[in-house]
Amino acid sequence: MRGQRVLVSGMGGELGSLVASLLETAPWVGSILGIDVDPPRRRLRRSEFHLIEPTDRERILDVVTRFDPHVLVHLAVWEPDARAGTTLAKRLTSQAATSVLASAAECRSLQAIVLRSGIEIYGRGRGALTRPDEDSTTNPTSEYGRMVADLEANAYGVGERVGVAVSALRLAPVLGPHVPSPLGRVLRQPIVPFSVLADSPFAVVLDSDAALAFVAAAEQRHQGSLNVVASGAISTMQAIRRGRRLPLPLIGPEWRFARQISYLLGAPVPEHVMELIHRGRLADGGRLMTTLGLAPHVTTQEVIDRLFKWDAIVRIPPRQAA
Amino acid sequence: MVDVIRLPRSWYPADSVDEWGRDAHLIELLTPAATLRWDVSVGGAHHLPKRGGALLVTNSRRFSLSTVYSAWALSSAIGRPVRFGGRPDFAPVGPLMQRLGGLLDKPDEISGALRAGELVIVSAQGTRNPRHAGAVDPVLIGSAVVTGAPVFPVASMSTPFARAARIEAGPQVRPRAKRRGPLAELELAELTQRQIQRLIDGLGGLRTGVTPIDWLAQG
Repeated sequence: MRGQRVLVSGMGGELGSLVASLLETAPWVGSILGIDVDPPRRRLRRSEFHLIEPTDRERILDVVTRFDPHVLVHLAVWEPDARAGTTLAKRLTSQAATSVLASAAECRSLQAIVLRSGIEIYGRGRGALTRPDEDSTTNPTSEYGRMVADLEANAYGVGERVGVAVSALRLAPVLGPHVPSPLGRVLRQPIVPFSVLADSPFAVVLDSDAALAFVAAAEQRHQGSLNVVASGAISTMQAIRRGRRLPLPLIGPEWRFARQISYLLGAPVPEHVMELIHRGRLADGGRLMTTLGLAPHVTTQEVIDRLFKWDAIVRIPPRQAA
Repeated sequence: MVDVIRLPRSWYPADSVDEWGRDAHLIELLTPAATLRWDVSVGGAHHLPKRGGALLVTNSRRFSLSTVYSAWALSSAIGRPVRFGGRPDFAPVGPLMQRLGGLLDKPDEISGALRAGELVIVSAQGTRNPRHAGAVDPVLIGSAVVTGAPVFPVASMSTPFARAARIEAGPQVRPRAKRRGPLAELELAELTQRQIQRLIDGLGGLRTGVTPIDWLAQG
């Protein structure tokens, strides 16, 4: 299985760039093509990149069908308030899914689709399971959860129609040194609000661990959904303590003002992060090990510790002449 | 600022929550308060598995919180966390119970925990008489059947007036016949109820030292 052509939509994002750089070192990968609205965040040596708006369906169709991929890794998912506000994120995600999945479906060589989803898909409504696994019913209760649920439904529909394996990797909140994460921004503020009444536990995953899962799922042509969650759990208050931030205990109505102030300070708190702070967010990631043979290396507590150590701005000095 | 206003590290460590939300440190902190209410003696703990998931079923009297104190007492007796089913899902009680090791009383939740190799204690139907074991929900037993986890009966006895409480775990409930369908959980549920009743009968009446109170406690 050498010389496989892999299409990465969303290659411009941190996760997309990481996946592309890992694919470049994979022996089974022949050529890599990327599409996004932003250029890649790191130097890629073998990948070919096209800067295309998700609305430009004809150009996407042209580029994708000419490349004729064996595997599509669909990472063009905009988490609300990560790089775009909720409305824009929803529109961009929907447009990208329509254009990329529809174009990939026209390719004769296509064998598998691996897409980014989130554990927000399970929802945290009253009576929701504490630690759902992949067989648990999905009942999203946030806009991001509904976005990824629509995306999964769309991808599974396409997969069924054209007869290709579809694997949805349901990621816990992704944190990384350069990942635009609304949860990470909130936690890194000097004063962090938390719910006194329900300081519920949650889990996260490091970007590099998530990227490894995408590459393994693409290689093994896995069919079905998989949770990608770092081991361990932490509550908001414990995360605040680990980061030596000042906790701001809140009970109910004042959350509205706290969100507004946080928004003005550059750390908007979207619906799914509010849900995480109040209701927690855990998932059973055991199946990843049994099916793909890998598990996240970094635990939730370690990811949170690293979150507080990452520099806000990395200054790269100009090169000195030799 | 954070260096000036700092919570003491000792009473709230930043890494004490496990993957199901149980907070071992909080339990440790609350144990002295719990011992003010219950003075639990545990028997038959050697029957419980040292590793792997298992479903424990105990009898329940209304408002006795038998699953809570049984889970705590068994946890310290066998040295591994025992979670209890039946926490509510509203703040602040739900999250607090989750910290104490509570799970939702849903078959999917219980099966998930059993599959993950956890010990989970659930209660049989509540009864007015503390010496009677109520019916065991076959749906919850089904969680164990589906995941292949063993089921153990646990008799618990306490009174509303005294601290003394007793927990007795019995050997694994083994069905007489192997069933392929839903009869497996129905029969196993009935058998579990009978074994809990046998354990309760074996415990005898509770002795607080004050005979009228013991009579009242007998229901």
